[in-house]
Amino acid sequence: MNRTITLIIHNLKKAKGQYLSFGFIICLTALIMNIALVLAFQTFNAYDSRFTELDTADINFMIPSLQDDSEIIDELYKMDGVSAVEKHSGVFVLATVREFADSDFDMNTVFYNLDEARTMNRLDVSEYQKKDENTIYIPMYMKELGGFAEGDHITYSVNDKDDTYEIGGIVSEMQYGNYGTGLIGGYLPAAAYEKLEEEHKEHIVAEYSLTVQDTADLTEIKNAITDCLSDKGIAALNINDRVAGKQTRTMVCTLLIVIFLALAAIILAVSIFLSSFRIRSTIEDELAQMGVLKAIGYTSKMIISSVVFPYTLVGIVSTGIGTILSYAVLPSIAAILAIQSGFVYTPVFDGVALLIVAAILILVIFLFAFLSAMKIYKLGPMGAIRGSKGNGDAGQNILLSALSIGIMVLLSFAGTLLYNVSVKPDNFMNTLSEEIPSIIFTVQNDKMSELKEILQEDSRVKLVLEYASTPLSYTDGSLTAFVCEDFGKVTNDICYEGRSPESGDEIAVGNTLADDYPIGSEIEISASDKSAFYVVTGYIQSVNNAGRVCQLTSEGYEKIGERMSNVNVYLHKQNAKAFIEEYEDAYDSLIASSLNYEQLNENSRTLYASIVSVVAVVLFVISVLLVLLVLYVLINSMISRRRQEYGIYKAIGYTSRQLTIMTAARFIPVVALSAGVSAIAGIWYLPVINQIILSQIGAIKNYFEVSIFLLFVFVIMFTAVSFFISVLLAAPIKKITAYSLLKE
Amino acid sequence: MSRQTVISAKHLKKSFGEKENIQTIYSDLNIDIYKGDFTVIMGSSGAGKSTLMYSLSGMDKPDGGQIDFDGTDITKLNSDKLAVFRRSQCGFVFQQIYLIDKMSLMDNVIAAGVLTSRNKEDIKNRARKLFSLVNIPETTWKKTPSQISGGEAQRAGIVRAVINQPNVLFADEPTGALNSANGMAVLNVFSSLHGNGQSIVMVTHDKKSALRGNRILYIKDGEIFGECNLGKFDPDNTERTEIFEKFISEMGW
Repeated sequence: MNRTITLIIHNLKKAKGQYLSFGFIICLTALIMNIALVLAFQTFNAYDSRFTELDTADINFMIPSLQDDSEIIDELYKMDGVSAVEKHSGVFVLATVREFADSDFDMNTVFYNLDEARTMNRLDVSEYQKKDENTIYIPMYMKELGGFAEGDHITYSVNDKDDTYEIGGIVSEMQYGNYGTGLIGGYLPAAAYEKLEEEHKEHIVAEYSLTVQDTADLTEIKNAITDCLSDKGIAALNINDRVAGKQTRTMVCTLLIVIFLALAAIILAVSIFLSSFRIRSTIEDELAQMGVLKAIGYTSKMIISSVVFPYTLVGIVSTGIGTILSYAVLPSIAAILAIQSGFVYTPVFDGVALLIVAAILILVIFLFAFLSAMKIYKLGPMGAIRGSKGNGDAGQNILLSALSIGIMVLLSFAGTLLYNVSVKPDNFMNTLSEEIPSIIFTVQNDKMSELKEILQEDSRVKLVLEYASTPLSYTDGSLTAFVCEDFGKVTNDICYEGRSPESGDEIAVGNTLADDYPIGSEIEISASDKSAFYVVTGYIQSVNNAGRVCQLTSEGYEKIGERMSNVNVYLHKQNAKAFIEEYEDAYDSLIASSLNYEQLNENSRTLYASIVSVVAVVLFVISVLLVLLVLYVLINSMISRRRQEYGIYKAIGYTSRQLTIMTAARFIPVVALSAGVSAIAGIWYLPVINQIILSQIGAIKNYFEVSIFLLFVFVIMFTAVSFFISVLLAAPIKKITAYSLLKE
Repeated sequence: MSRQTVISAKHLKKSFGEKENIQTIYSDLNIDIYKGDFTVIMGSSGAGKSTLMYSLSGMDKPDGGQIDFDGTDITKLNSDKLAVFRRSQCGFVFQQIYLIDKMSLMDNVIAAGVLTSRNKEDIKNRARKLFSLVNIPETTWKKTPSQISGGEAQRAGIVRAVINQPNVLFADEPTGALNSANGMAVLNVFSSLHGNGQSIVMVTHDKKSALRGNRILYIKDGEIFGECNLGKFDPDNTERTEIFEKFISEMGW
């Protein structure tokens, strides 16, 4: 080894720039891989730790307090696998939160008594100073997404009555905490809670929280609960469990992990091509010197080690640096994720992630460096000394082609994501949401037909549709039902297989239920004390409530429940705010409440657009860096190999400028062709990538469009940027003189 | 007094190319190299001089025959064993010099020295002596090959070749790329080494270089066509030069 060290040190000194660029690219790969792995390992674990730390229940369900029965607790305890049960009361309402991210936000809210003793679903309160009847403590999610802070005022509107509170503190809890779970908490000091309870007696609920043994089957227990309640003629208002809550709150995190891992794989592939190319071209360039080393007694193994070891060493150091740097970025990423997840954690050093990143990168670098250097084995000293230098064009073109394709995949993916969020936001929102009207009016009792008639005659209105969502239950637990008078008129078709229901005995179910309920089978749906069987006609998607959703026609829903009182209004032009004000003034007796969905939709789009923009910008920056690094390696290697040739050109009268442009231009056909091929292929593969990634969060059918114009623009931009970078990198040609000819 | 054979090659065969394009260099060549001799191999271009020298030194494998190098049949060694064999037994000086770029002259020599000795200081001491012997001043030792003249580079190449005190020093046209003055300086080094008992095998076209040898072998038509023993080099010995001139003239030079 001692003998080889001299050669290794020499190799490292000789090509410092090359090793630095290789090190940088590996550093970037390690950084991204480590971010993905730390998020994968720690977000879910941090979630579980926080879940345990706050003694969060595995299953929670709510029933109207009026239907509560003292025997329920005993029956729950008798269920197999249940280890503890705790009961609390709350006030369950559909509340509109004013000025939530500058809009009104409609959400199912349960208000709890903050001062009530709890052994389950404990609350971690950030501040606890004020406890009067005008104080409320809000969950983390409301702070992060809604933009509220301690000391701010917040207004909840329930049944058209506004209650304004001062925010006393932020509550960290793991029971709800995210709109995606279909329910969110509000925490009132005893005085405030008692006042609210007094005002909303009909909305008081009994909430049962259960912890189960590790070996228990959550679904079985939930079935047992539903059966138990069904026997008593009680319909659960909501059932949530550990698994569904976790899935919903970590949705964006899952999405980011998939994107980061894909990105790391692309960069790793490019860096492998790069290192293989470098090694092969080093062998070609230094063929004679390797022959001399063999002649004076160095064995093939020693020479191969001297080539492979520097790459492996640079790989080890860069992996270490990249991993360390990732910890500088991770807190910011965790903070972005907290907006959606509603819980904050600080990523810490993760030895396992480091080991995995190091093992993968170092092994891959070593393996590819070794395979590339194996050529040395076959090299006899005489063949090497007498052998001629190749021009390396084939390897160079393969590398450049692989890079161009890889970068175009990145650019096309990032561009498509950004295009569908920023330019065509409806595509993104339709993928993640259900119906997106301009306004939702809640109608006063029995006034639906009257209001609809007025709306339909209004020329500003494009469509009026009775549409509402409501919690129902089925054998395995609760589900959210989308009830509509006619699914043929909806503006966002979320049915990805089969069809939406058309008659009163039909139903379409969410993707989570698809395995258990094939199309054509029957499912029993319950609400309050009534239930009915429906035939499954298709499957619908939803990223909310973990995909446990269904579609029922109004006729079908009315078999088990009262006529819904919500109507969606779709306007021709965006002007929901003025429209609502006008209608609330003119038709006060018909409208119970209004929701500016246009504003809400805009807020959601802005939230997602900000996250997607960060991801897209990161992808663009990485793309440019990759182009820069790879072209640096190629051009550097080309200039060094063709030094004599450049000398000859200069001797016969070419200028440095001409040679620089000639050098830069020789890369362009490969770049343009590969980018073009990748872009054309993108028309096919981008929907596949989008499908794979979005299906991770439950959006089985997506509305993402692939803009051919955008891909075309990327091909031109990528080619132009590559040419521009090449011209800059080829500048050292200026230093080559005709005298270079004489040197050898 | 009988001379001690250091290399004895029997029935050597070597050809290049395949099938119809096969070019036989030699098909049954026999040659002995003696210890302490400065053997010069001459011949016309393409006669196989370098090919023969590289076969004798274990740099290239013959297609057939045996090469006994100081008791070892090197035709039976694999490439790694040959590399280890070359470390201690052979030194090489090339026409194109082939010092490693960006390594100083001293480091170039050490890179070869560490192959047989772990004592770096000992290698450096030997290198210093050899650099003095070949007239490379200390100020040049830290320079890289691109910073010195071709003659200095070739003399540094000779230091690298003999740092491990090889049994035989092989040289392939060592003055071929040098001007007259630099060539002379290099040849003086060879003579000096030979004077100290170093066995040398040199391939050359150059008559001045060839005159430095004490034994001239002429290769033609795939065999040792002629041999001439000149005795020790003496620049003032005109008779020696005449014998050499007559020999190569007879060989068809």
